[in-house]
Amino acid sequence: MRRLLALWTKEWIALSRDLHGLAVLFLMPAAFIAIMSLALSDTFGDRVRVDFAVLGPDAAKIAGELEGDGFRAAPAPANAAAARDLVRQGKLSLVLLAGPRPVVLADPALPQPQVLAFRMRALAVTLGAKPADLTQAIEVEVVGMPRGRLSSVQQNVPAWLIFGMFFVVLPLASLFIVERRDGTLARLVAQRVPFPLILAGKIGPYFLINLAQAALMLLVGRSVVPWLGGEALALPARWDLLLLATACTSIAALGWGLLVAVGARTLEQATVIGGVGNILAAALGGIMVPRFVMPQAMQRWADLSPMAWALDAFHAVMLRGGSSATLAPSFT
Amino acid sequence: MLSIDSVSFSYGEIKVLDGVSLAIPDGSIFGLLGPNGAGKTTLISILCGLRPPAAGRVAVERRAIGLVPQELAFYPMLTVRENLRFFGGVQNLGGARLRERLDAVVAFARLEGVLERRAAELSGGLKRRLNLAIGLLTEPDLVLLDEPTVGVDPQSRAFLLESIGALRSPARHILYTSHYMEEVQAICDHVAIIDAGRVLAAGPLAAVLGGAPSLEEVFLRLTNRGLRD
Repeated sequence: MRRLLALWTKEWIALSRDLHGLAVLFLMPAAFIAIMSLALSDTFGDRVRVDFAVLGPDAAKIAGELEGDGFRAAPAPANAAAARDLVRQGKLSLVLLAGPRPVVLADPALPQPQVLAFRMRALAVTLGAKPADLTQAIEVEVVGMPRGRLSSVQQNVPAWLIFGMFFVVLPLASLFIVERRDGTLARLVAQRVPFPLILAGKIGPYFLINLAQAALMLLVGRSVVPWLGGEALALPARWDLLLLATACTSIAALGWGLLVAVGARTLEQATVIGGVGNILAAALGGIMVPRFVMPQAMQRWADLSPMAWALDAFHAVMLRGGSSATLAPSFT
Repeated sequence: MLSIDSVSFSYGEIKVLDGVSLAIPDGSIFGLLGPNGAGKTTLISILCGLRPPAAGRVAVERRAIGLVPQELAFYPMLTVRENLRFFGGVQNLGGARLRERLDAVVAFARLEGVLERRAAELSGGLKRRLNLAIGLLTEPDLVLLDEPTVGVDPQSRAFLLESIGALRSPARHILYTSHYMEEVQAICDHVAIIDAGRVLAAGPLAAVLGGAPSLEEVFLRLTNRGLRD
């Protein structure tokens, strides 16, 4: 135990003096969570504001009926040509050309679901109904969500937490390579320190760092994001499952770190392979782009990324209120 | 007596040690000489268990080994004290025994004034002294010194040589490699000259000298003057 303690103490001291490493492990994911949660908050909430205009007979009346649920009426352009120009310039997102055969002009930058939602509202108004009747006719219940609906912070905390956890690859692999290069590893072996003990000396501190990252990122979602104007993270009821998901993610991250440490010959190689590998795994695994927007073939490729498995597990716990039974497939 | 019997080792197709046999008497400082690529560092790595010999036998048993490698094998981001505590801790030294050994090697290598300094900030001579101190933490009975005076100023070199000489004790074997012949001639009582993995000469210093004025002359005669790298 004394030998293990010495190895752990050395890792702690080395990491505590590596300010860049600490920034990558703690500040980077915290910044991503804060920025992305705020940047995408309107996409998940009901605060989206899309400006639209109506041209044609009864334009003012139709515009009044279409307003609501994030759609805001703007002054009508002089004619259809002026409307097209405004949409092309990005000054208006949507224009309904009312008439016997209605047409919606849409800004190409507007997400497709919002174009579809506006078309549904326009259809309701054209058929003589109120858009509100449409939304009230069928109630939507988001199953398992703590607040009954998905929020940006709920999506972003697990995603960027996983991303940050995998960055233990950099300090872990770097020190390992320095030890190999400088002869300290040889010295430890010559001093008859068993190799499994050396490995345990590496894994233990970084496992605790991964747990600390998880605690800190939950705190950021719970306190910092609302302080900056976003929604607070709703914590899951099953803390044990959250811990299990975090521990399994940590084991995957540490495995990746050791693989890079063994495979890379130089510090430069470790930085490039570890850093770029993490970014690619994040892009593929649904951290940067949600998997549900990917084509079917890409979704199958996403299963290659350990970050995708981790994200599935965190979603099962934090979004779907899952049990250990629903969590199991993420790790098998 | 520490014996090395017919030890061979290859890196792939390249034979680095070819049936090396040496006898290192108890209480001796044994100088191992050879040009670059002769196999000295490989032999040391076999002696300290980093590599198994492809053939032959090394009778090291369960000796306490103190390795002082050619590289500065410590942690630059740790202080001198933290490095010593760490290497003591991983060798199972703790409590009063660790404090005692730490004080002893600090005094031996005269590191008292730099204990709280980070190893990265030390001068070349102090780094070499720390490297040596770490190797002596457990009072090893087999000390392997791989070019311990490389890259230091004459003052530090003289201090290191004096210190290594002071390590001599009846129950201890010291194996010393260096490219500085005058160093070896000054502190070693037995020497071996190896080249291309073979022993060219071995025995008491006087016998290897065989009347020659310097070890360097014997070395160059046996290994020839051609460049090796």
